[in-house]
Amino acid sequence: MIGASKLRLAGVTKRFVGTGATDTVAVSDLTLDVRQGEFMVIVGPSGCGKTTVLNLLAGLDSPTSGTVAIDDRTITGPGPDRGVMFQDYALFPWQDVWGNVEFGLRYGPAGAGLDAKAREERVRRTIDLVGLAGAEKKYPNQLSGGMRQRVALARLMANEPDVLLMDEPLAALDAQTRIILQDELLRIWGQDRPASGRRTVVFITHAIDEAVFLADRVAVMTTHPGRLKALIDVPLPRPRGDATRALPEFQALTQHIWSLIRDEAYRATVT
Amino acid sequence: MIANATGGRRTAFYYVRTMAVFIAFWALVAWWTENPILLPSPWSVIDAAVGLARELELFEHAGISLGRMVVSIGIASALAIPLGLAMGLNRRFERFVDPTVEVLRPISGIAWIPLALFIFGIGNALPVFIMTYAAFFPILLGTVGGVRAVDHRLIDAARTMGVPRRTIVTRVVIPAALPSLLVALRLGVALSWTAVVAAELIGAPSGLGYAVEWYRELLMTPQVMSFIAMIGVIGYVCDAGVRWLNRAFAPWARDA
Amino acid sequence: MTTRANAWERYGLGLVLPALLLATWQLLGNASQNPRMPVPSRIVTAAITLVASGDLPLALLQSLIRVFGGFMVAALIAIPLGLAMGHLRAVERNVDPLVETFRPIAAIAILPLAILWLGTGTSAAVMIVAYAAFFPMVINTVAGAKNVNPTLLRAASTMGLTRFTTVRTVVVPAALPSIGVGLRIALGVGWTAIVAAELAVGAKAGGGGSGGIGQMMFVFYAYSIELNRIIVCMIAVGLVALVLDRLLRAGMRAMMPWART
Repeated sequence: MIGASKLRLAGVTKRFVGTGATDTVAVSDLTLDVRQGEFMVIVGPSGCGKTTVLNLLAGLDSPTSGTVAIDDRTITGPGPDRGVMFQDYALFPWQDVWGNVEFGLRYGPAGAGLDAKAREERVRRTIDLVGLAGAEKKYPNQLSGGMRQRVALARLMANEPDVLLMDEPLAALDAQTRIILQDELLRIWGQDRPASGRRTVVFITHAIDEAVFLADRVAVMTTHPGRLKALIDVPLPRPRGDATRALPEFQALTQHIWSLIRDEAYRATVT
Repeated sequence: MIANATGGRRTAFYYVRTMAVFIAFWALVAWWTENPILLPSPWSVIDAAVGLARELELFEHAGISLGRMVVSIGIASALAIPLGLAMGLNRRFERFVDPTVEVLRPISGIAWIPLALFIFGIGNALPVFIMTYAAFFPILLGTVGGVRAVDHRLIDAARTMGVPRRTIVTRVVIPAALPSLLVALRLGVALSWTAVVAAELIGAPSGLGYAVEWYRELLMTPQVMSFIAMIGVIGYVCDAGVRWLNRAFAPWARDA
Repeated sequence: MTTRANAWERYGLGLVLPALLLATWQLLGNASQNPRMPVPSRIVTAAITLVASGDLPLALLQSLIRVFGGFMVAALIAIPLGLAMGHLRAVERNVDPLVETFRPIAAIAILPLAILWLGTGTSAAVMIVAYAAFFPMVINTVAGAKNVNPTLLRAASTMGLTRFTTVRTVVVPAALPSIGVGLRIALGVGWTAIVAAELAVGAKAGGGGSGGIGQMMFVFYAYSIELNRIIVCMIAVGLVALVLDRLLRAGMRAMMPWART
């Protein structure tokens, strides 16, 4: 069902040149495979290099050493096969909802071969899918946080990338909206479909319950430098929903991951 | 400032009341000084303004000054915006040009008047040169600043969609820099309008600045005040015009 | 290796264009037969003469004194008024119409009236500077006083501060960075205005001995067409503008280490 390796980080180290002699090692010797159709969540305290990993996968950054590959081809730059959802969404403020969702199809290669009508249909379908129908003409600054998040998701989905890279997309939302959007995210990702029909996702968060709720596997990272501490299977059945959060296995997994990063997280709050 | 209708009416009421008090105070001082050359009464100024308006003299000079400003802003934008884009996008080019800009910038447009008088003589070219110069720097710096301040994640977002570099410039960088550019344009218009009065006062055979000076020499103070008021009105209208442009072309940005 | 390349990129590259422009100018000037043609070498000579004779420093000093006079007059009115307008709605409602009505009128436009009322001497020049400097000061002070975090005001009132103490200890410090911005703009605008005013007085009042850098420039234009000297004056105007701005900015930074200016 869940297929072969889709994304591969092999012995990846990323060092940022600082001012003077103080270089920062954001990620050290990280090896991680993400399988085709898998929902991989990377969790860890702030400063553990989660975002760096995502930028490496997106091709926005290149590793100091080691290789980052998709389908066994080394990643050298950004590409439409990997869509990114940014932490504060990075919506284009001068485009309304429709324009934002359409952007990649209109100006990027994802829309090549689509005529205007097919493009419009695709945008229409995506906007309906994320529940934004009726808000097409609104600008981002007229939308609530939750709606902006939906726009960012729609913009990502409209390009139909093979891989979805998400950098703490729910971090800016209040707790209730967050729970609703976690459910929605799994629905849109296609948890009702068989695993072969799902897209590969790499999702970054610092919220452990969110990680457990969403993931097939959770990669736990620790700080200074960023390393992979543990890789944990989440065998909770899909489709998941409110009932999942009440399962004793859910609680146990959450506790277990918290015990792995607790000391680090405490330390992070005082530095 | 206040959006709803009653708020608007209240603002208008306060405006009228304050200006009524001001005019009453002015009338009182004018009556007390009894010197119509130094301080004519409000009525004689209104009288003069109506006369100047009826003979179209007020509008002729205003039209000339306004026309010069529109031409100047056009030239300044045509030079400064492409240069600013290039400077904002290319760090090396910026380092090449920036010191020259920084050396010239503190020399105000008005300080060029004597040299420009020698080069261009009295006529249209002098005020247009001074105003273009005055508007050039704010527009240039606003463009550079706007391009530089573009949220890098917006560019990243477009890159992850595989959008080519040229399209990123036209579809991400330019729209993202537009609000800052329009703020700069507003400043450019204001500075250029200040410069027109000075330039016309000294080196033009027509325009509002010229008219003000002409009537001062004739000691016709009501006419002087009428033209000064016209300078204020056009200054206000131009500013409102740029703000309207801002709302029309950058509705997503807050009013500058 | 990289540091040397960086130094070249950072400082050397920027000198290429000015050097090129100056060299071209000098060569063109040498080729021209007109002895009045301004060229860099003659400008340097003119600058030395003007500085050594004391004429240029004196004219600059005269203009600077006028700018400071007008600047102080404007600040004494604009800052208290701006604080009152920003803090009390009633004051703002009643005064704002006047500010908004007169703001679009360029300071130079007032010059003929100033000459009419105060003559062609220092007082008219001070009035122009004060008028020009007033508006940026008042607008930025109002904006600063209004931008005070309301929670801070509530915190002050829970501590039982009187209205005046609140203004002094909360509103003024919170508005200070914005007031500083207003002062900086005002000083720049005031300097431009003084040059314009002196030029215009020179041009229109027959150059009657009121002095200052602007008038000096006009005299060089009107009576002897000394272009080299005019350019020296232009450079001096620019340098003074730059120095005034840097001094004020440094002063503000020293006064308000918590604000970024």
